[in-house]
Parts: sequence; structure tokens; C-alpha cells
Amino acid sequence: MSDALGYVRPVTTLTEAVAALAGLGDEGAALAGGTWVMRTAQRDGQRGPSGSIPDLRRYVALKWIPELGGYTATDEGINVGALLTHAELAGIDGGPAYACIRDAARKSAFPQVRNVATIGGNIAATGFAEADLIPALLAAQARLELAGPSGTVTVPIEEYLPERARRPYGELITRIHVPAPDGRSSAFERLTVRAAGEYPIVNVAVSVDTVSGVVTTARIAVGSVEPVARLCPDAAAQLVGRRAGDAAAATAAGEAAAAELNARESLDSPGWYRLAVLPPLLRRAVARIPATP
Amino acid sequence: MPYSFTVNGKQAASSAPGLTPLISVLRDELGLRGAKLACGEGRCGACTVLVDGRPVASCLYPLANADSAAVRTVEGLAAPGGPLTPVQDALLSSGGVQCGACIPGIVMTLTALLESATELDDASVREELAGNICRCTGYQKIIDATLRASGARSGGGQA
Repeated sequence: MSDALGYVRPVTTLTEAVAALAGLGDEGAALAGGTWVMRTAQRDGQRGPSGSIPDLRRYVALKWIPELGGYTATDEGINVGALLTHAELAGIDGGPAYACIRDAARKSAFPQVRNVATIGGNIAATGFAEADLIPALLAAQARLELAGPSGTVTVPIEEYLPERARRPYGELITRIHVPAPDGRSSAFERLTVRAAGEYPIVNVAVSVDTVSGVVTTARIAVGSVEPVARLCPDAAAQLVGRRAGDAAAATAAGEAAAAELNARESLDSPGWYRLAVLPPLLRRAVARIPATP
Repeated sequence: MPYSFTVNGKQAASSAPGLTPLISVLRDELGLRGAKLACGEGRCGACTVLVDGRPVASCLYPLANADSAAVRTVEGLAAPGGPLTPVQDALLSSGGVQCGACIPGIVMTLTALLESATELDDASVREELAGNICRCTGYQKIIDATLRASGARSGGGQA
């Protein structure tokens, strides 16, 4: 490949994008909205003060690939293209199963970033513990459609996240499917130091399936505490068999979640503080789950 | 092949690498110095411009993605010597402009808000301004000015 450093190759079909990325191998990367790519480069000191070329990889721009846009909503759920922005996700009325994703998209960052940052980029970004969509997608049991050199596969997001760096070159997240079974509802909460416009100390998503108002299965996912957001099965188990929105169950779930996570230390928050604010944040999220979806 | 797009309605092009931040092209190649490169990492909003009608942080916006887009900057709002837009006028008369460093970005955020929103209140303006930091902390007068401009707009004339 003769692409210069900082060069961005525009492509207009998925096939072209997969072939270009496969050819570039470990020197290549996909460019969606670019917010994380540009910011990471700035943080890593690869950019001068007047704004020179911010990264040393060769990028393939996905913006003009129609297969990565749009969304469809059916009885089975919502299928969104990887290029949908946070602002677009926030505008979809996807019902109670999708509510945690809509609220994560709506509350994340601020307009200038929500208008640009995509769902595919949020899932693909590494080193981004605070990403708001990730716990929401985990709790909602999202499945990712991936197109690669050897075809298309569908992978649950919780399997994809830990193996992102080991996926084959040329593989792209194309669409995200969010199931919407009967009786499912969900909620999302995040805690920031300022009211808005910054990364969360903790973010949490809850999704429950109910029969006659009683929780039959539940998923709780927590972000910004560990390096990658993850499901908390011990916490979720505390909600099962109880009524949706039950405050005592929510308190037990919060304590269980704090016990099953190893909190990271960083300049914006010590680990103990993340774990201390997690239970009340989870209670708030559970309280917003409607008694009947 | 250079990237081509429009800036304030006029055709523009740049042969800079695709990952060059849009703010650098606007300021250093096209001479539009209204938008400011301040934090340089998408947190302060001083570099806010509109791309296809939506506010973006131009320090985080790769030139490649601006190809074929319509970019608007603060320079495109009022012609030199011409009348200010309602929101610019209200910021001036409400004392919303202090040191001025954040204002070109804030004006663009508010321009998009006023062009798209039907009803505004204090809370919705605050929410929209979450990505624009004013280090003079003059937020309340900026919010007051926005609400005044929105009233002027629905009344069909300038305040």
C-alpha cells in the first residue's frame, strides 16, 4: 500500500472497505465520525498546537457507505447501522427494551460530539472505559453484525468486547441488532461531577424481562469502573423474582455490583469512590423501570 | 485529489491530509479565524462550527469527512457592515459577550438551536450549551440573550 501517513481513503461500498482494511493490516483502521481517533491522538501528543496530522495510521473512511446507515424497527427489535450518531440514536422511539440505549445516547457528552460520534465507533474504540453506549448495549443483549474478508458473522456484544483486538483485519461492525421481546424494559443512569458535558464516574444500564410485573430475567451492566464495561451477573440475580422497580432488590443489586467489580484508579476519581456511588446510581436506574413495560 | 466542500456558501478545497482537523483548514488555509483552537480535544466548544447544519467540534472533525459538506462558521452569519443575526444582536445588547473567546463557538451552537427548535426555555438552552465552556462564566446572560433572540424570531423581527 502506498497510502501516506495521515491519508484517509474514501470508499463507497462495504466490499471496498473490507478489502482496503484487510490489505492495510495492522497499519490500517476504520474512520467513522473520528471523534475518538482525533482525541486519542491529541492526548498521545502526536499533534502539534496548530493542528497537524494527528495519527500515524492509515484510515479508511466509512462515511459514504450506505449499508452502514439507517435503521429498521420491527416487532422483534431495532436494527441500526454502525454509522448512526448518538444524536440519531437519541431520536429513535424504540420502546422500553431500547430505552437504556436511547438515554445513554441522549446523555452522553454534548451536542458537538453527539452529532458526530457513531455507535460503531463507540463499540470499536479501545481504551475508552467511560463510553456510555456500551453498558446500555450489554444490558440490552445487543448483537453485532460483522462483515469481514471471510463473510458475515453475528456476535453478542459481550463476546465481542474482550476480543476486539484479536478480530481479523478487514472486519467491520456493520449493524447492531437490539432485541425487543415482550415484557422487557430498561433504564440507564450516569454520574458526572458537572451536570453534563463530561465523562461519567460510573454509568449503569438495567434491562429486565417481566411476567405480570415480576422480574424473570435481568441484566445489569456497569461502565467506567473497570477498563471495559461489563455485565454484573451477581447484581442482576438480586432483581430476579422481585417486582420490577423494587427498591430493596435494587439496593441488594447495588451492593452485589460493587462487590463483583475491580475499580480502576484515575485522575478524575479514585476507585473506592466509583464503587461508593454505584449502588445509589443503580437504585436510580431500577426506580425508572416501569412496573409494566 | 483535494477535498472540496462549501464554507458559508462558497466553494472551498483543501489538499491537506484527510485526518487534518477541520479547524486547521478553516483558520490556516482559508483565513477564517473566528472559530478558536482552545482545548484541542473536543471539550470546550470554542471551535464549534456547523457541518450540514449541525454543531460539531471542528478540532475533532477530520477534513476527509467534510468532503461535499456544507460548513458554516461565525464569519458567515453577518456580512461586514451588515446587520447582525438576532442571536448576535441579543448577545451584544444583553451583555452576553465578555472576553469573547468562546463566543464564535457559542453563536454557532445557538444558531443551530434557534434554526431547529420551536420552543425554548432556560433548561433547554443550558442543555444545548453543555459543550461550550465560558471561562468568564457569563452563562446566564448568554442564556437570556438566546431566549430573547428566540422571542425576536417568533415575532418576525429583530430585538
